[in-house]
Amino acid sequence: MKLTVCWKWVTVDGGEPDDRWAGVSPADEAALETALTVAAADDEVVVVSAGPPGAVAALRRALAAGATRAVRIDTDGAASRDVATAVAAIAAGSDYVLCGDYSLDRGTGSVPAFLAADLGAAQALGLVSVDVTRRPVRVVRRLDGGRREVLDVPAPAVLSVEGSVARLRRASLAASLASNSAPVDVVGGPPRSEQVAVVTAYRPRARSLPAPAGGTLTRVRDILDIGGEPVHSESVTLDPPAAARRIVDQLRDWGHLPA
Amino acid sequence: MPDPDVDVVVVGAGPAGAAAATVLARAGHSVILLERGPFAGSKNMYGGVVYPRILDQLHPQWWEDAPVQRWITRRSTMVLTDDQALTVDFRSERWGRPPFNGATAYRPDWDHWLAAKAQADGATLVCSTTATGLLREGGQVVGVTTDRPDGDLRAHVVIACDGVNSFLAKEAGMYGEVDAANYTVGVKETIALPKDVIDARFGVRGREGQDIEILGGTGGVNGGAFVYTNLDTLAVGCVLKLPKLSAQALRPEEIIDGLKRHPAIRPLVEDGEVKEYSAHVIPEAGLSMMPQMTGDGMLVAGDAAAMCLAAGIWLEGVNFAMASGMYAGEAAVEALAAGDASAAGLAGYERRLRDTFVLRDHRKLRRAPELVLSDRVQHLYPEMIANTVERMFRVDNPAPKPGLRRIFSDERRRAGVTLRDLARDALDGLRSFG
Repeated sequence: MKLTVCWKWVTVDGGEPDDRWAGVSPADEAALETALTVAAADDEVVVVSAGPPGAVAALRRALAAGATRAVRIDTDGAASRDVATAVAAIAAGSDYVLCGDYSLDRGTGSVPAFLAADLGAAQALGLVSVDVTRRPVRVVRRLDGGRREVLDVPAPAVLSVEGSVARLRRASLAASLASNSAPVDVVGGPPRSEQVAVVTAYRPRARSLPAPAGGTLTRVRDILDIGGEPVHSESVTLDPPAAARRIVDQLRDWGHLPA
Repeated sequence: MPDPDVDVVVVGAGPAGAAAATVLARAGHSVILLERGPFAGSKNMYGGVVYPRILDQLHPQWWEDAPVQRWITRRSTMVLTDDQALTVDFRSERWGRPPFNGATAYRPDWDHWLAAKAQADGATLVCSTTATGLLREGGQVVGVTTDRPDGDLRAHVVIACDGVNSFLAKEAGMYGEVDAANYTVGVKETIALPKDVIDARFGVRGREGQDIEILGGTGGVNGGAFVYTNLDTLAVGCVLKLPKLSAQALRPEEIIDGLKRHPAIRPLVEDGEVKEYSAHVIPEAGLSMMPQMTGDGMLVAGDAAAMCLAAGIWLEGVNFAMASGMYAGEAAVEALAAGDASAAGLAGYERRLRDTFVLRDHRKLRRAPELVLSDRVQHLYPEMIANTVERMFRVDNPAPKPGLRRIFSDERRRAGVTLRDLARDALDGLRSFG
């Protein structure tokens, strides 16, 4: 069986790539631990990271923990669409691809989705537990409102786990020492993306609402949402194009997208 | 005895450990430098000034790539009372050009840089790994245990550079009874301000910086205070004697707060943003608290050997750490060449310490820490000195000017300092600093 683990290496302060202030998220580490737990003795666990040479230190840590092979895709600041294509070439033939559900820079989580599309694999994200003793693997997803979804995910699949799923095992001293000189494969990667993503804090768009009606108490109740039925979510059944339109419209209504 | 995994294990990748590893690696020995933090320097803390002259021997032209914040070209000693401040201020342009004197630097930069040099020379740095104890055979130390699975590491020599409160030196029985009175706690805030604001407030330019050492300003707790300039931050803090700190109600951060509100300090630090608060124990008693430094198969260097010089005028530690680490490395090289890692084989270490500034400074200044932290120097003299100077500069017309001797004599009496105590302290001071 082949398992691939994707690590997003992030320079924390955003300055010069400096190994001291860089690393991967606990979720990424949990992804590796999950893969190591799933893997039998003769299974292959490949850890792949797209990043500058500084990412090698993190990949060597993965090798010390027990990964069988580490690959660095040589790139810096490439678009996630292109990164996913490069990762898919390495992950091809994997039964499961494991990703962290969030990266240190709290990215968009788009790489696992692109990756699943490229590999023709199923995708499950926001996993709070992975039962690796079952085949197919049984996972529990986090949903809104404290609810959970239990899924049996047949291979091939891309699974994104939260950091609480597992804690990366401590490498033995001998493995740590050996990993200092362990080889990390390097493959060419996509160029830096010209498209600059500007991430700003979420500010809801101003919306026009009807003038308040009723007495003070009613208005306070309305503002605080007291007395009404709580609305957690809404289920609709639509064909894919209509569903996509509905999602975009809703995001626009909430102010996440420009009007 | 099974073959060791490595010639020497150095525990702790601070300045002492990095220097020891460098010497050993250059001599062609296999050496593992263990560091409990995720990188060298990540766990370390000090006030902020380093005097790297000793590096001329280990890394000539070290200033060309040393991660320095500012070169100290302005050295000030300040005496504070509640509402007075007397500053003796010295500046020298010579300290701002090679071969330099002192510098401010961040430890995560400085220690990382030194450890990288040891690695470049061939030492193996293993981070995120804590030495949890000693491996012993008979009386001989033959390695360390670590917190990693299968973590035993056997070596001919173990050099403990594991900092103040060294668990390894204690486990080896090299420390006597530990007395809290020998320790201070250093507390520090790192306060961000734009570089041009720091330049203007401290009267420095470019990479020049100021070092202000303060007597008083510690909320009545025996100790000292400091303000150091980094490039775009200030290090502001206090060093507080432990028994005195625990005997009163103020917390260390409240004492720093009081210091920052003092009329002489406030204009320097106001509007800054506190980026970091940190605290660390300091071995402050000098020679009198030093442990046995050589054992069979083991050497102790740096703060682990209490090599911190807290002598008021001179406040040094990193240079003693780098020197003692270097000498420990040299002694280990000698011992390995002779095939004798016993205490006798490692005797070159203490000989080097005795023959150089490391122990000579400490011996000469052995009375200084006690004197500097004594109740009279801490609580009576600042008032006496500041009041004397205030009266000296005060114009009391129509009263005629009193003579300086008269003023001093008045103020000495008012502060409750007897001539006998003053003479005794002066003699002690002369013996130490003279």
